[in-house]
Amino acid sequence: MAHVLFGVACLITTVWVFVDVLNVSKTNQNRIKKMSCAAAIFMWLAFFIGGYWYVTSYSADKAIILKGPWPFAHNFVMETKEHLVILLLMLVTYLPIAAANNLSANKDARRVVLWVAGMIVLLALMIEGDGATIAMGVKVGLLAR
Amino acid sequence: METTGVSKYTISFGLSLTLASVVNGLLVVAKEKVPAVLTGMQKLTGHHWVTHDVIILGLFAFCGWLFAQANGGQGIKMNVNRLIGTLVTGVGTGGIIVLGFYLIGD
Repeated sequence: MAHVLFGVACLITTVWVFVDVLNVSKTNQNRIKKMSCAAAIFMWLAFFIGGYWYVTSYSADKAIILKGPWPFAHNFVMETKEHLVILLLMLVTYLPIAAANNLSANKDARRVVLWVAGMIVLLALMIEGDGATIAMGVKVGLLAR
Repeated sequence: METTGVSKYTISFGLSLTLASVVNGLLVVAKEKVPAVLTGMQKLTGHHWVTHDVIILGLFAFCGWLFAQANGGQGIKMNVNRLIGTLVTGVGTGGIIVLGFYLIGD
Protein backbone atom coordinates (compact mmCIF):
# COMPACT_ATOMS: atom_id res chain seq x y z
CA MET A 1 0.00 0.00 0.00
CA ALA A 2 2.83 2.40 0.85
CA HIS A 3 4.34 1.67 -2.54
CA VAL A 4 1.12 2.67 -4.31
CA LEU A 5 0.58 5.66 -2.01
CA PHE A 6 3.98 7.16 -2.77
CA GLY A 7 3.53 6.45 -6.47
CA VAL A 8 0.26 8.36 -6.50
CA ALA A 9 1.83 11.13 -4.41
CA CYS A 10 4.55 11.46 -7.06
CA LEU A 11 1.92 11.62 -9.80
CA ILE A 12 -0.17 14.29 -8.04
CA THR A 13 2.91 16.33 -7.16
CA THR A 14 4.09 16.26 -10.77
CA VAL A 15 0.69 17.46 -12.02
CA TRP A 16 0.99 20.25 -9.46
CA VAL A 17 4.38 21.19 -10.89
CA PHE A 18 2.98 21.15 -14.44
CA VAL A 19 0.13 23.50 -13.58
CA ASP A 20 2.36 25.76 -11.49
CA VAL A 21 4.86 26.09 -14.37
CA LEU A 22 2.03 27.09 -16.73
CA ASN A 23 1.34 29.91 -14.29
CA VAL A 24 4.90 30.61 -13.18
CA SER A 25 5.95 33.89 -11.62
CA LYS A 26 8.54 34.94 -9.08
CA THR A 27 6.07 34.16 -6.29
CA ASN A 28 5.59 30.46 -7.07
CA GLN A 29 9.03 29.62 -8.39
CA ASN A 30 10.35 28.37 -5.07
CA ARG A 31 7.26 26.23 -4.61
CA ILE A 32 7.85 24.65 -8.02
CA LYS A 33 11.40 23.71 -7.01
CA LYS A 34 10.22 22.24 -3.70
CA MET A 35 7.40 20.28 -5.30
CA SER A 36 9.79 18.93 -7.94
CA CYS A 37 12.04 17.67 -5.17
CA ALA A 38 9.02 16.23 -3.36
CA ALA A 39 7.99 14.36 -6.51
CA ALA A 40 11.46 12.86 -6.75
CA ILE A 41 11.49 11.87 -3.05
CA PHE A 42 8.05 10.24 -3.36
CA MET A 43 9.17 8.29 -6.43
CA TRP A 44 12.36 7.04 -4.79
CA LEU A 45 10.34 5.93 -1.74
CA ALA A 46 7.86 4.11 -3.98
CA PHE A 47 10.78 2.54 -5.84
CA PHE A 48 12.59 1.25 -2.75
CA ILE A 49 9.42 -0.04 -1.07
CA GLY A 50 8.22 -1.72 -4.26
CA GLY A 51 11.68 -3.02 -5.04
CA TYR A 52 12.05 -4.56 -1.60
CA TRP A 53 8.65 -6.26 -1.96
CA TYR A 54 9.52 -7.43 -5.47
CA VAL A 55 12.87 -8.96 -4.49
CA THR A 56 11.71 -10.60 -1.25
CA SER A 57 8.07 -11.55 -1.77
CA TYR A 58 6.91 -11.34 -5.39
CA SER A 59 7.89 -14.91 -6.30
CA ALA A 60 4.83 -16.25 -4.45
CA ASP A 61 2.53 -13.86 -6.35
CA LYS A 62 4.28 -14.76 -9.59
CA ALA A 63 3.59 -18.47 -9.09
CA ILE A 64 -0.12 -17.77 -8.53
CA ILE A 65 -0.36 -15.49 -11.59
CA LEU A 66 1.39 -17.96 -13.90
CA LYS A 67 -0.89 -20.84 -12.88
CA GLY A 68 -4.01 -18.69 -13.14
CA PRO A 69 -6.10 -17.43 -16.10
CA TRP A 70 -4.03 -14.22 -16.49
CA PRO A 71 -0.39 -15.29 -17.01
CA PHE A 72 0.10 -12.13 -19.09
CA ALA A 73 -0.16 -10.18 -15.82
CA HIS A 74 3.38 -11.39 -15.12
CA ASN A 75 4.78 -12.32 -18.54
CA PHE A 76 4.00 -8.96 -20.10
CA VAL A 77 2.68 -6.50 -17.51
CA MET A 78 5.11 -7.12 -14.62
CA GLU A 79 8.09 -7.64 -16.88
CA THR A 80 7.47 -4.29 -18.63
CA LYS A 81 6.61 -2.51 -15.37
CA GLU A 82 9.83 -3.52 -13.62
CA HIS A 83 11.89 -2.16 -16.51
CA LEU A 84 9.86 0.92 -17.45
CA VAL A 85 9.83 2.14 -13.85
CA ILE A 86 13.55 2.84 -14.22
CA LEU A 87 12.73 5.37 -16.95
CA LEU A 88 10.15 6.96 -14.65
CA LEU A 89 12.66 7.10 -11.80
CA MET A 90 15.24 8.86 -13.96
CA LEU A 91 12.67 11.31 -15.32
CA VAL A 92 11.49 12.24 -11.83
CA THR A 93 15.07 12.56 -10.61
CA TYR A 94 15.74 14.88 -13.56
CA LEU A 95 12.68 17.05 -12.83
CA PRO A 96 14.23 19.09 -9.99
CA ILE A 97 17.39 19.54 -12.07
CA ALA A 98 15.35 21.07 -14.87
CA ALA A 99 13.22 23.04 -12.40
CA ALA A 100 16.32 24.62 -10.85
CA ASN A 101 16.53 27.03 -13.80
CA ASN A 102 15.00 30.50 -13.54
CA LEU A 103 11.59 29.41 -14.79
CA SER A 104 9.83 32.75 -14.39
CA ALA A 105 12.31 34.44 -16.72
CA ASN A 106 13.22 31.58 -19.05
CA LYS A 107 10.75 30.18 -21.56
CA ASP A 108 13.17 27.46 -22.69
CA ALA A 109 13.50 26.13 -19.15
CA ARG A 110 9.72 26.15 -18.71
CA ARG A 111 9.29 24.08 -21.87
CA VAL A 112 11.78 21.48 -20.66
CA VAL A 113 10.02 21.14 -17.30
CA LEU A 114 6.59 20.90 -18.95
CA TRP A 115 7.71 18.17 -21.32
CA VAL A 116 9.45 16.20 -18.57
CA ALA A 117 6.48 16.56 -16.21
CA GLY A 118 4.15 15.51 -19.01
CA MET A 119 6.18 12.36 -19.69
CA ILE A 120 6.25 11.59 -15.98
CA VAL A 121 2.48 11.85 -15.67
CA LEU A 122 1.81 9.61 -18.68
CA LEU A 123 4.34 7.01 -17.61
CA ALA A 124 3.18 7.09 -13.98
CA LEU A 125 -0.45 6.53 -15.02
CA MET A 126 0.64 3.55 -17.09
CA ILE A 127 2.72 2.13 -14.24
CA GLU A 128 -0.19 2.53 -11.80
CA GLY A 129 -2.43 0.66 -14.22
CA ASP A 130 0.19 -2.06 -14.56
CA GLY A 131 0.30 -2.48 -10.79
CA ALA A 132 -3.47 -2.79 -10.62
CA THR A 133 -3.45 -5.41 -13.39
CA ILE A 134 -0.77 -7.45 -11.62
CA ALA A 135 -2.72 -7.35 -8.35
CA MET A 136 -5.81 -8.46 -10.23
CA GLY A 137 -3.77 -11.25 -11.81
CA VAL A 138 -3.07 -12.60 -8.33
CA LYS A 139 -6.72 -12.29 -7.39
CA VAL A 140 -8.09 -14.12 -10.42
CA GLY A 141 -5.39 -16.74 -9.94
CA LEU A 142 -6.54 -17.37 -6.39
CA LEU A 143 -10.22 -17.37 -7.41
CA ALA A 144 -9.50 -19.97 -10.05
CA ARG A 145 -8.16 -22.43 -7.50
CA MET B 1 13.00 40.35 -19.43
CA GLU B 2 12.94 36.75 -20.70
CA THR B 3 16.21 34.84 -20.96
CA THR B 4 16.98 31.75 -23.03
CA GLY B 5 19.04 28.61 -22.64
CA VAL B 6 19.18 26.22 -19.73
CA SER B 7 21.85 25.18 -17.22
CA LYS B 8 24.66 22.82 -18.21
CA TYR B 9 23.23 20.19 -15.86
CA THR B 10 19.81 20.42 -17.51
CA ILE B 11 21.46 19.51 -20.81
CA SER B 12 23.97 16.99 -19.46
CA PHE B 13 21.47 15.03 -17.37
CA GLY B 14 18.88 15.28 -20.12
CA LEU B 15 21.29 13.66 -22.57
CA SER B 16 22.33 11.15 -19.95
CA LEU B 17 18.68 10.23 -19.36
CA THR B 18 18.25 9.69 -23.10
CA LEU B 19 21.28 7.42 -23.28
CA ALA B 20 20.35 5.46 -20.16
CA SER B 21 16.79 4.96 -21.44
CA VAL B 22 18.00 3.32 -24.64
CA VAL B 23 20.66 1.27 -22.84
CA ASN B 24 17.96 0.12 -20.41
CA GLY B 25 15.95 -1.31 -23.26
CA LEU B 26 18.98 -2.97 -24.85
CA LEU B 27 20.04 -4.45 -21.51
CA VAL B 28 16.59 -6.00 -21.11
CA VAL B 29 16.97 -7.72 -24.48
CA ALA B 30 20.52 -8.83 -23.69
CA LYS B 31 19.72 -10.39 -20.33
CA GLU B 32 16.58 -12.12 -21.59
CA LYS B 33 18.23 -13.50 -24.73
CA VAL B 34 21.70 -14.36 -23.41
CA PRO B 35 21.57 -16.65 -20.34
CA ALA B 36 25.16 -15.82 -19.39
CA VAL B 37 24.24 -12.14 -19.03
CA LEU B 38 21.29 -12.94 -16.77
CA THR B 39 23.38 -15.32 -14.67
CA GLY B 40 26.15 -12.75 -14.34
CA MET B 41 23.71 -10.04 -13.31
CA GLN B 42 22.12 -12.42 -10.81
CA LYS B 43 25.50 -13.18 -9.26
CA LEU B 44 26.60 -9.56 -8.95
CA THR B 45 23.94 -8.47 -6.42
CA GLY B 46 21.86 -11.56 -5.83
CA HIS B 47 19.01 -10.42 -8.09
CA HIS B 48 19.19 -9.53 -11.78
CA TRP B 49 16.75 -6.64 -11.39
CA VAL B 50 18.83 -5.00 -8.67
CA THR B 51 21.94 -5.27 -10.84
CA HIS B 52 19.98 -3.85 -13.77
CA ASP B 53 18.91 -0.83 -11.70
CA VAL B 54 22.42 -0.21 -10.39
CA ILE B 55 23.86 -0.29 -13.91
CA ILE B 56 21.28 2.03 -15.47
CA LEU B 57 21.01 4.50 -12.59
CA GLY B 58 24.79 4.51 -12.27
CA LEU B 59 25.09 5.22 -16.00
CA PHE B 60 22.58 8.06 -15.68
CA ALA B 61 24.44 9.66 -12.77
CA PHE B 62 27.91 9.20 -14.23
CA CYS B 63 27.10 10.40 -17.75
CA GLY B 64 25.16 13.35 -16.36
CA TRP B 65 28.26 14.42 -14.49
CA LEU B 66 30.59 13.56 -17.38
CA PHE B 67 28.68 15.49 -20.04
CA ALA B 68 28.72 18.54 -17.77
CA GLN B 69 32.54 18.50 -17.85
CA ALA B 70 32.66 19.00 -21.64
CA ASN B 71 33.95 22.26 -23.14
CA GLY B 72 36.24 22.94 -20.20
CA GLY B 73 33.49 22.54 -17.64
CA GLN B 74 30.90 24.63 -19.49
CA GLY B 75 29.01 21.53 -20.54
CA ILE B 76 27.57 20.50 -23.88
CA LYS B 77 25.93 23.33 -25.80
CA MET B 78 22.56 22.42 -27.20
CA ASN B 79 19.48 24.17 -28.47
CA VAL B 80 16.48 23.53 -26.19
CA ASN B 81 14.27 22.31 -29.03
CA ARG B 82 16.89 19.71 -29.81
CA LEU B 83 17.21 18.76 -26.12
CA ILE B 84 13.48 18.23 -25.78
CA GLY B 85 13.34 16.28 -29.04
CA THR B 86 16.25 14.10 -27.96
CA LEU B 87 14.71 13.48 -24.53
CA VAL B 88 11.31 12.50 -25.88
CA THR B 89 12.81 10.33 -28.60
CA GLY B 90 15.20 8.62 -26.19
CA VAL B 91 12.61 7.85 -23.53
CA GLY B 92 10.15 6.80 -26.20
CA THR B 93 12.68 4.53 -27.87
CA GLY B 94 13.67 2.95 -24.59
CA GLY B 95 10.04 2.35 -23.75
CA ILE B 96 9.23 0.88 -27.16
CA ILE B 97 12.19 -1.50 -26.96
CA VAL B 98 10.97 -2.86 -23.61
CA LEU B 99 7.30 -3.04 -24.61
CA GLY B 100 8.07 -4.41 -28.05
CA PHE B 101 10.38 -7.08 -26.73
CA TYR B 102 7.93 -8.46 -24.19
CA LEU B 103 5.03 -8.17 -26.62
CA ILE B 104 6.71 -9.74 -29.61
CA GLY B 105 10.27 -10.79 -29.02
CA ASP B 106 10.10 -12.79 -25.79
